[in-house]
Amino acid sequence: MPLPASDTDARISRRAVLAGFATGGLVTTSGCVRRARSIVGRDDPDPLSLTITTVPDDVDRHAVVIADTLKDNLEAVGIDVSIDYRAVEEFYREVLINHGFDLFVGRLPDLSDPDDLYEALHSRFVDESGYQNPYGYANLAVDDLLERQRRTDGEERRAAVADLLEAVVVDQPFVPLAVPVEHRLVRTDRIDGWNGRDLTTRRGFLDLEPADGVDDLRAVVTDPRVTENFNPLSAAYRNQGLYVDLVYDSLALVDGDELRPWLAEGWAWSDDQDGTDADSLEEPTTGRTVTVTLRPDLTFHDGEPLTAADVAFTYRLVADTTLGAGSVRSPASRYRGRVSVIDALEVHDERTLTITTSAGREATARAFTVPILPAHVWEERTGTAQLTGVSVAQGTTEAVVTDNVPPVGSGPFRFVDVSERQSLSLERFDDHFSLRVDDLPAPTVETFSTHVEPRSPAAIEAVEGDSADVTIHPLESYTIDDVTETTDVELHTQPSRVRYLIGFNARRAPFANPNARRTVARLLDKSHLVDSVFGGHAEAVATPLTGEWVPDDLAFDGEDPAVPFFGTEGDLDAEAARDAFERAGYRYDPSGSLLVRR
Amino acid sequence: MYVQVLLRVSVVVACMLVVATAVIVGRHRLRTTVGDLVPRLRAVAPVVVVLASALLFNGVARQTVPDLSWILDWNFTWVIYDFEGGFIVWLQSFEHPVFTAYFSFIYIYGYVFMLIFPVIAYLALSDTRPARELFAAYTLNYVLGLFIYVIVIAYGPRNVMPEVIEPLLYDTYPRYQHLTRQVNRNTNVFPSLHTSLAVTVSLLAYRTRAIYPRWNSLAGFLGLSVAISTMYLGIHWAIDVVAGALLAWIAVWLSARLVGRFSLADAVRRYRTRSSETDAGRPPVDTAGDTTGEEAADRLE
Repeated sequence: MPLPASDTDARISRRAVLAGFATGGLVTTSGCVRRARSIVGRDDPDPLSLTITTVPDDVDRHAVVIADTLKDNLEAVGIDVSIDYRAVEEFYREVLINHGFDLFVGRLPDLSDPDDLYEALHSRFVDESGYQNPYGYANLAVDDLLERQRRTDGEERRAAVADLLEAVVVDQPFVPLAVPVEHRLVRTDRIDGWNGRDLTTRRGFLDLEPADGVDDLRAVVTDPRVTENFNPLSAAYRNQGLYVDLVYDSLALVDGDELRPWLAEGWAWSDDQDGTDADSLEEPTTGRTVTVTLRPDLTFHDGEPLTAADVAFTYRLVADTTLGAGSVRSPASRYRGRVSVIDALEVHDERTLTITTSAGREATARAFTVPILPAHVWEERTGTAQLTGVSVAQGTTEAVVTDNVPPVGSGPFRFVDVSERQSLSLERFDDHFSLRVDDLPAPTVETFSTHVEPRSPAAIEAVEGDSADVTIHPLESYTIDDVTETTDVELHTQPSRVRYLIGFNARRAPFANPNARRTVARLLDKSHLVDSVFGGHAEAVATPLTGEWVPDDLAFDGEDPAVPFFGTEGDLDAEAARDAFERAGYRYDPSGSLLVRR
Repeated sequence: MYVQVLLRVSVVVACMLVVATAVIVGRHRLRTTVGDLVPRLRAVAPVVVVLASALLFNGVARQTVPDLSWILDWNFTWVIYDFEGGFIVWLQSFEHPVFTAYFSFIYIYGYVFMLIFPVIAYLALSDTRPARELFAAYTLNYVLGLFIYVIVIAYGPRNVMPEVIEPLLYDTYPRYQHLTRQVNRNTNVFPSLHTSLAVTVSLLAYRTRAIYPRWNSLAGFLGLSVAISTMYLGIHWAIDVVAGALLAWIAVWLSARLVGRFSLADAVRRYRTRSSETDAGRPPVDTAGDTTGEEAADRLE
């Protein structure tokens, strides 16, 4: 790209002035010096050049094609674009941990509960690393609404969430694009009961119905990260955390929309009238406590008992992986939002602890879904990670960088063996409480083996060829229409908690400016993308939350209600988009490049 | 699945080798080889050990290479894409099921055949120098290739242009990805090791054209096919192929200069003569592998 004329002029004049100083002949009066200072002291805005961070096709074809479309449309409005393709763990490391991006295109797991937005957008997290506010977004009005949905329950919370979504949509800290429909292939001749299950959580793999003589479940994954790292706190290596969910337990079990007591026998809210009912939600909402009682005789896979101290330890570790010993606090990069509802913790005995919180019941209960880590394994991981000869960033504790192999959990399945990028084997944990307590969903198969296939077509072949029973990761949408269902092989469909989005880095110009974010948001035709990229196997969205949370005026009805596309049917009206940038105060140079001061 | 694919490739390549050996090497050479095989193997053993260690090291290093590369983070994907993205699109505009079948076959079977056949052909020669140069050139390819892989991160065309480039091989034959995944990670496309090894074989075939004129023509054709197949299938960029050819040339050039320079047999002989000073008889070790570089080059060209 040629240098813009103004920039060249500025350089020449600067050089001329310096030359003047050097010869000492021209500058004789103070007025002249002041004028020279005024000339050299001004920096011009430069033609904007952006990098889109995304993943390669082997990881996610949808992201690659969306990034390419976005690149074309950004170029059409006079922005120079390059694309940075990164391996999947490197993508999340760069985006979530190092914040080294201008804008990214990709999928983020778990943006489906209103309180997920608290973690994603609250300004208290701008300086932390992980899923907490990777965008560097800060808006005091949004902070207020995030607090309000957290404090309240029931109808009041619903209203707060509607207000929150209205505010977020105006500001576009990120652009929610689509919610995919997840398709998986399952074999029903060996193991049945897949129907209607959520195969992204532990619950989906409990109470399965193996045929007579079948005692092994054979899964196939297309993302090898689980064979490389088993750290529940790693943002770079975890997706939705199914395997963590199988090997680790949490206080409560996510069962559809319901939270059922799991490690906890039950919990009692201090403001309950009768002290037992966990379902009545219309109560005052400040300074409450909740007392959690664990089931008796819980153990980790290594035989050590699981006690209330382990629960408290886990919550403290997530809030600060140095456990207060570090020179700065170093929160974990996952579960941070959920644990931040906890104001204080008190362990009474081996089985009971009390949590003090200023949040409502709905938000507080989400802390019950955090995997409980064994204190006796993790308390040695609170020191700063060491690497000879390399200076390690402050707060990089062993807990956040360990690969945690072999993992010691208490979940229904126990880790047996792993072969990097090849396979992972788990076996049923026969001492698991679910096998001795009635009415709890329990593991039915003895072994849970997983092998890695490169991509969806190979995973489909594995299930069709009877070397696997289930594809753990959703099939890529371009392969779905080619799947032939038989009596033994069925497509399993479920809504997704994953969101495809464009994330802006508000720490970098021009994305600190909501107008710039809004205009970029209007460069993509979401409903067209759903057809062309997802083959219709997704739903275009205007808000990160879906379903009951979305107020009527923000429902996506063929067009985005807040940031409608500049153009029709995927064809961009570049003039309209350029006008929008100019209305927002940006200027174009004569060659048509958008100028931005960075 | 991996084992199945491996078995299938082995069977097909074995058939190809049998036919090619019969046609190109000939019965006469094979017969003399049988009697002479042990001393010949002894002569190539040192360089085979070097190659085997290089491959073993490669196998171990492959797990760590991506992590090392990401620490350096020299990602050239966009630079290459921006520079020559149109070429692969143009090449794929000739897509036809016949081409796809042919190039897929070449990429997997033709390539493996091409690497193994010269081993047989050159061991069938009483002069072991071509065989030793072959192994040395393979070693250099792997060692230099691995070094560049550590430094450069680059994804191939199929990984960045899925809507334009049909990832022909892996979508048509997903099972092949099992095989190639064992050998290469998807960040390692620069240079094309497929091209460099195939071109290495072609260049060596040219040097032995006096002995194996038919192999020279076949290797030239196969080498070109492999190079085109990597681009046609959307696996490599044109730059990777050019770099691969360059790497091949360097490997062949270096191997011609290195082979014969360090002779294990010589060292053994010197040691033995020294330890039995008085014995003026001829060296006890077979000399089949010890012709000097100049002599061998004279004989070959």
